[in-house]
Amino acid sequence: MLQKIKNEIVESQIFKSVFRHGYPDNDLDRAYAIFSSVFLHIHPVKVRRSALRMRYTFCLGGITLFLFIILAVTGIWLMFYYTPYTGLAYRNIKDLQFVIFGGNLMRDLHRFAAHGMVLFVWLHMTRVFLTGAYKAPREFNWVVGVVLLVNTLVLSWTGYLLPWDQLAYWAVTVGAKMASYTPLIGQNGPWGPQLGFLPTNDIMFMLLGGTVVGQNALIRFYVLHCVVLPLVVTVFLAVHFWRIRKDGFSGPL
Amino acid sequence: MTNLTAQTQHPGDTGDMASPADKGRRKFLVAAGWSLMGASMAGTAFAAYKYLFPPVLYEPPTVFKIGHVSIYGLGVDERWKLKGRFWVVRNMRGIYNMISICRHLGCTPNWFPDQKRFRCPCHGSIYDAHGNVRGGPAPRTLWRGQITRDPLDGELIVNTVIRLDPDPVQTPQGLWVKEKVKEVTPFYIDHSAPAGASCASNRLLC
Repeated sequence: MLQKIKNEIVESQIFKSVFRHGYPDNDLDRAYAIFSSVFLHIHPVKVRRSALRMRYTFCLGGITLFLFIILAVTGIWLMFYYTPYTGLAYRNIKDLQFVIFGGNLMRDLHRFAAHGMVLFVWLHMTRVFLTGAYKAPREFNWVVGVVLLVNTLVLSWTGYLLPWDQLAYWAVTVGAKMASYTPLIGQNGPWGPQLGFLPTNDIMFMLLGGTVVGQNALIRFYVLHCVVLPLVVTVFLAVHFWRIRKDGFSGPL
Repeated sequence: MTNLTAQTQHPGDTGDMASPADKGRRKFLVAAGWSLMGASMAGTAFAAYKYLFPPVLYEPPTVFKIGHVSIYGLGVDERWKLKGRFWVVRNMRGIYNMISICRHLGCTPNWFPDQKRFRCPCHGSIYDAHGNVRGGPAPRTLWRGQITRDPLDGELIVNTVIRLDPDPVQTPQGLWVKEKVKEVTPFYIDHSAPAGASCASNRLLC
């Protein structure tokens, strides 16, 4: 009976229009299956056996990507209950922790995956540095990696404000204060005041949407954390992977 | 990587040398694996479903303590319309309330004391002080909410979620429900008429 159900599905029009090549049992079909899939096309057509060896890269970049996917999924679940409003944000988090079924699990997964992502980005870059994989002709992918590192850190920082507790408030107050010491464009930085930057028009003001961490800062960080930065990271991830797997410099990884 | 499939597909293959006992064990392990996978998928689906139903709600109140009967005069009183979306109506026999939701498409009708009619601004439904339909597209009469007395201090309590909705009858005047069908506990509270009131002012309230 299972065989009959399986045949029914595999022979259906929908299945055939999605999987157009049948079961790939020869090299040509295997290559076509990769080529013609929007999801797999970034994957190389052939993978060397040596490239699958665990101890070559320890799969640190792959683990980072896995954590990013966990963060995207759990983040969407958390967004169902979170309101970026100063009067509700903290209560929403408490509801997620103590009232909503599975809410605390989603929050903890998001939090630990975030810590893990920072850690594994660091380990990944250390491995790339130690194996000399940052050198020409792959030097530009190192630059893309640095952009991804900075985005990961800024994602962590913007997410830190969202629970709207004392820890969040003061961490972001301190962080924003640091931005005000930026040279040329900060109110406290070298040449900042001389160039006319005041508490109401410098980089810190732009970041917070005000002179203190308030409602404007919360909505700004929320939009950055949930929309802008994940989009930027996704685009740079695509470039990062494409350069590794399709550029040819790394061999058919 | 390809070893698993190679056994059955390469020409000249000597075939699977497994004994029937091995094959039975493999079949069992495959079934066990898929069962485990199915159970975990079902568990995840259930948890995801349950997550979407918040066990605590922060919604506007639906139960209102509206004070003693004596503070309401004869006729329609609109003081709770904005806060609770219901009217309090007192007649010569007692007091009841009606939900301020038009039965056509859910707008809020207005009370016109000179015409003694509720008129809905959206599509022109017209109701009288009993909630009977006197014109317009409304398919049923106005809802009446639960009204009870607080056993401690005797004040009235209105619950706008528990509603009375009897089937109306088509008459030449409009859709009608007899008053004695609607003036029942817990949607009506018997009370003597205010001092000096008479039926002369408004026959509808008698």
